[in-house]
Amino acid sequence: MATIIPAAPQISLDHVQKTYPNGTVALRDVTLEIPKQDFVFLVGPSGAGKSTLVRLLIREEKATTGTIRVEGQDLSRLKRRHLPYLRRKIGMVFQDFKLLPNLTVFQNVGFALRVTEGALRHLKPKVEEVLSIVGLEGKENKYPDQLSGGEQQRVAIARALVHDPRIFLADEPTGNLDPATSWEIIQLLLQINARGTTVLMATHNREIVDVMRRRVVAIEGGQIVRDEDAGGYHAPALESH
Amino acid sequence: MHRLWNRIDFAFSSAWQNFWRNAAVSVASVLIVWVVLLALGSLLLVLHSLDQIVALEKTKASAISVYLADTTPLSSAMDFKLHLEQDPRVTNVTYVSKDQALARFRQLPALDPSVIDTLGTNPLPASLDVTVRDIRDLGAIDQEVRTSPLVDKSPATNYEPNVIDKIILLARVAGIAGLVLIIGLTGLSVFIIMLTIRTAIYLRRKEIEVMKLVGATDWFVRWPFIVEGLIVGVIGAVVAVVIVGFGYRPAVINLQSVLIFVPLAFDPSYLRVVLAAMLGFGLLLGSVGSYLGVRRFLKQ
Repeated sequence: MATIIPAAPQISLDHVQKTYPNGTVALRDVTLEIPKQDFVFLVGPSGAGKSTLVRLLIREEKATTGTIRVEGQDLSRLKRRHLPYLRRKIGMVFQDFKLLPNLTVFQNVGFALRVTEGALRHLKPKVEEVLSIVGLEGKENKYPDQLSGGEQQRVAIARALVHDPRIFLADEPTGNLDPATSWEIIQLLLQINARGTTVLMATHNREIVDVMRRRVVAIEGGQIVRDEDAGGYHAPALESH
Repeated sequence: MHRLWNRIDFAFSSAWQNFWRNAAVSVASVLIVWVVLLALGSLLLVLHSLDQIVALEKTKASAISVYLADTTPLSSAMDFKLHLEQDPRVTNVTYVSKDQALARFRQLPALDPSVIDTLGTNPLPASLDVTVRDIRDLGAIDQEVRTSPLVDKSPATNYEPNVIDKIILLARVAGIAGLVLIIGLTGLSVFIIMLTIRTAIYLRRKEIEVMKLVGATDWFVRWPFIVEGLIVGVIGAVVAVVIVGFGYRPAVINLQSVLIFVPLAFDPSYLRVVLAAMLGFGLLLGSVGSYLGVRRFLKQ
């Protein structure tokens, strides 16, 4: 990766604005830097712009103005044919897991390698490796509908890990899970972060954010209203100056 | 090598699954491809036969057979022959006796010789075959010989001035009508293949979403659908090729027995060209249809 400038942050947004064709302004003058190995909670009410931000980072959408850099790469200049290679550096999980119901756990995880032209002989050991990271050994031949919600999210996490991503984006990963299971998923994300992967998690889960005391970026009305290390879900009530 | 194999294996197994997953739509698109190719193959063979007939008629165009009445004695026939030979417009006159005419008739392809034997007597007239220097003089000579009492009256000669023009016109009409039909069917088949691919893409939308998410390239996503279109084209083509390939010869033989005097011939080398063209066109239909399908519906 000759393009990376050593001191540069892994993800940076510089005065980013996103206006949808219907005129809705989803993000307004957003400037944000996320260094390597950071663990960031992205909080804010529904419709605040969290999902738009996530979509911009995987270039599902293009910024209207401003510059977004991921791994030193200016996303507005990224050619469409290079987009898949960006996606392989970013692991993604969602609230709805996005597992394929007709494939087993093993096949769902292996699918990510198969469709990215990974050599098939490396597939089995790699799938076994990531399944053991997420703690699903022995469930390889189960289908998604035979698993609990937490287990399904683990499969999705395992799938997101097969390319050894440098960045892990989680969009409401605990949105469909009960509190105990949510904590297990958070533990897993911490473990992934401890292995050197940058983690950005968009969430509504106030309890988790408040207990973790990690960096919190709050978005409201398309703007960053707060960015603090070791923050809580809401701004401290008595912070005056 | 492994990567290439993975890519091919994935494309073919997905395509095959797609084909059977929406079997009804797939079969409809195979049928329409089959119909297009059958029409294409038949048209090419019919036009080729008409071409052959025109070419043969053109070589015969400078000659005319003057049929002699059975009552004409040989000496009068010879006098008449001499008279014609002295005509400056005529280059050659040959006498064909009733027996020679019968022998010639027996050699017509696809004619059952027993048909003539059952007649008992020889119904064919003797004739003078007249070759002219300039085919434009044929009409005048035809008019002159008809007045002779030696000449049979039904028919007097085999002079048919418009036969070539008629065949050329027939070929042109058949060609244009066939072309219009094939263009229409081609448009329809490309459209139906496109719908088939669209259905397959719809059924796989979740997989496509995941593929894009984990970083599959656009072409990796597209290939299974292109291959599915090619499978449709190949199956339609193979069925049509088998039917035309095995049906052409019996069709020619049957037509020969109905149209005894039409010089229809079986042309195996041209048949091979037609079959190759059908297969190629089937592949083209499949790939164009599926390309249009993926182009419109796999854009983000």
